[in-house]
Amino acid sequence: MKLLLKSLVTGLFLFFCANGLFGQSAAEISRKSREVIDLGSTQMDFTIYIRDNKGNERVRQLTMISAVFNDVGKTLVRFTAPSDVQGTTLLIYDNKDKEDDMWIYMPSLKKVRRIISSERGKSFMGSEFTNADMSKPNQADFNYSLLGTTIYDGKECWMVQSEGKDQTISKANGYSKSVSYIDKNSYLCYKVEYYDLSGNLHRILTSHDYKNVTKSTFFSYRTVMENVQNKRISEMVVNKVETQTKSGEEMFSPNALQ
Amino acid sequence: MKRIIFFTILICATLQVRAQWSGNTDFSIHGFGRGSVYGGSKAYDLTSVFAELSLQASLKKGPAILESDIRFTTGMFFNEKDARFRIRELYAGYKSQKFDIFLGNQIVIWGRMDGFNPTNNITPSDYFFLSSDPADQQQSNFMLKMQYRPLPGVDLELVAIPFYKMSSYRFDLFDMGELGKYLLFGDDMLPERILANGTYAVRANFDYPAFGGSVSWFQGYDPYHGFNVVSVNWASAQPVVRIASTPYRKTAIGADVAIPVGNLMIVRAEAAYNHTKNPDKKMFIPNPDISYVVGIETNVLGCTVIGQYIGKYTFDFFPLSVPVSPDANDPASLVQYAEKYIDYENRLFNRKVFNQQERTNHAVSLTITRSFAYDVLSAECTGYYNITSKEWFVRPKLSWRISDALMAVVGGNYMRGGEKTLYGYSSAVMNGAFAELKVIF
Repeated sequence: MKLLLKSLVTGLFLFFCANGLFGQSAAEISRKSREVIDLGSTQMDFTIYIRDNKGNERVRQLTMISAVFNDVGKTLVRFTAPSDVQGTTLLIYDNKDKEDDMWIYMPSLKKVRRIISSERGKSFMGSEFTNADMSKPNQADFNYSLLGTTIYDGKECWMVQSEGKDQTISKANGYSKSVSYIDKNSYLCYKVEYYDLSGNLHRILTSHDYKNVTKSTFFSYRTVMENVQNKRISEMVVNKVETQTKSGEEMFSPNALQ
Repeated sequence: MKRIIFFTILICATLQVRAQWSGNTDFSIHGFGRGSVYGGSKAYDLTSVFAELSLQASLKKGPAILESDIRFTTGMFFNEKDARFRIRELYAGYKSQKFDIFLGNQIVIWGRMDGFNPTNNITPSDYFFLSSDPADQQQSNFMLKMQYRPLPGVDLELVAIPFYKMSSYRFDLFDMGELGKYLLFGDDMLPERILANGTYAVRANFDYPAFGGSVSWFQGYDPYHGFNVVSVNWASAQPVVRIASTPYRKTAIGADVAIPVGNLMIVRAEAAYNHTKNPDKKMFIPNPDISYVVGIETNVLGCTVIGQYIGKYTFDFFPLSVPVSPDANDPASLVQYAEKYIDYENRLFNRKVFNQQERTNHAVSLTITRSFAYDVLSAECTGYYNITSKEWFVRPKLSWRISDALMAVVGGNYMRGGEKTLYGYSSAVMNGAFAELKVIF
């Protein structure tokens, strides 16, 4: 369960792409890219399919509710399947300038427990996604550079590279660098390549099924992460999204988790 | 008076319920089936072997809540065949964002520490239900539980338990050496089932990003009971002493706190002052004491590490003196000596149960957990050492999530203590290895 800790999310999927967007020439791209993924208050049900290289599949289902109060993004994640984790609930306060605050309620323990928000580079729920993939990157931790442009999936994209400023940051996030493919027209990110700490290509993320949330904002309903080294593939599918929900702050209180 | 208070609370709480009974009905039924083997002790090849089905039904309709965990268990426990139908939890009630009220069989766990919770006085345990998960030992009480959340991060909890339920120790299974030859265990001495003998507890709990904490008050019979001598049979050459589980009433005032230190660690602490009245110096009532636990949780090399110090200070402590052997030719003084010796041995035994063998008691524990292979494997090991009594245990456990529906667990429990210590007695029965296969649905 500890591997779930650093996992959630203010705008779950599209932060995969945000890492690579903060260089001199990437600043504007970054800003616009963030604007198109600002979901505000959201409730979503999603499923993660985890497939190993032998074709075995495991399934995880979650409901996530998020909202922003006083500039702090608060996210509640309730596990709905499989049965042995059903009812387990995580609460995350996504702080901008300091470590996130996290609590967990596990039905078997019958109590809410404060937990440490570390281990960003670890697997999220046993999938190929890491906890770092799921949370907002600290922009100051990376150096950004524009590698050029390319055609990806019929779209003209910028290739933006981000590298951890030091070994500690890279280690904490679980990769040495990433390369993001961002559509020049829509500012949507369609692909990210992650390189391991030895500099070898490790994982490839692709985002699919972008749909409009509002007139100017989008959301990817299907995200796939492929581990090219061990051939495992994890897929996140959004089953249901409700935006602009009116969730009261009481819901995001640790003592409401039970 | 307590009867009036109990019913007043119940009626007032019920009147609070102004529900809009709309909304979808959300009914689910899940649970698990498992086979479990625990064995390899000195006393038993197979200490506890059982199959169990857990049916967990849950119903939510608007603010109406029904929760249950019903267990059917059949197997051999300490060489005795048994089939059990157990309602682990079954309660109904109302839940809203601000206020909850539940009535029924519930398990309530208080305290922020791991495994050693001075403020957790409500839920009894069956310490002799041996399985891979210590939580299986928790026993529900029939209770009224209310929770009120006046502000985000603040909640007030009230628990009222009309009928006492004690924890289960099976000291009758132990080889207690010379002492055991003259010792019999009688029926439990339960308090009369009147509301005046009920348990009442309240807690104010706070959870904020910078810290979390609570203060609590408990009044009632402690599930962690003592033993009293109920009769001595002098018919034979050696007296036969019958002792029985006997609860005592106490008032406990407790507090706990959890403070995160950046991403580095979480510091936790918990303490409770336990006040008892014992003007007649009854052996089954412990002295007032203060129990305290301090610990840290951190991550080291991918492992979660929890280290704790567990201490106790006993007020009005005095050492027990071994009765002096009298003149063998004086029958009257021999009887007196025997009575004193029985009293001495049983007081000593109770002090072991209450961990009040010395004025201060010091112990440490360490738990290390780590997951491997994308959470498919999970390893855990807990060690405990009582510096004062020199008793210790170690509990390794490995869980393998074979698929989403199938899980295997193997592990062990090894405890050791000197002669006439509780761990010394327990080790012959409770040491061993376990294996479990569980299907989750």
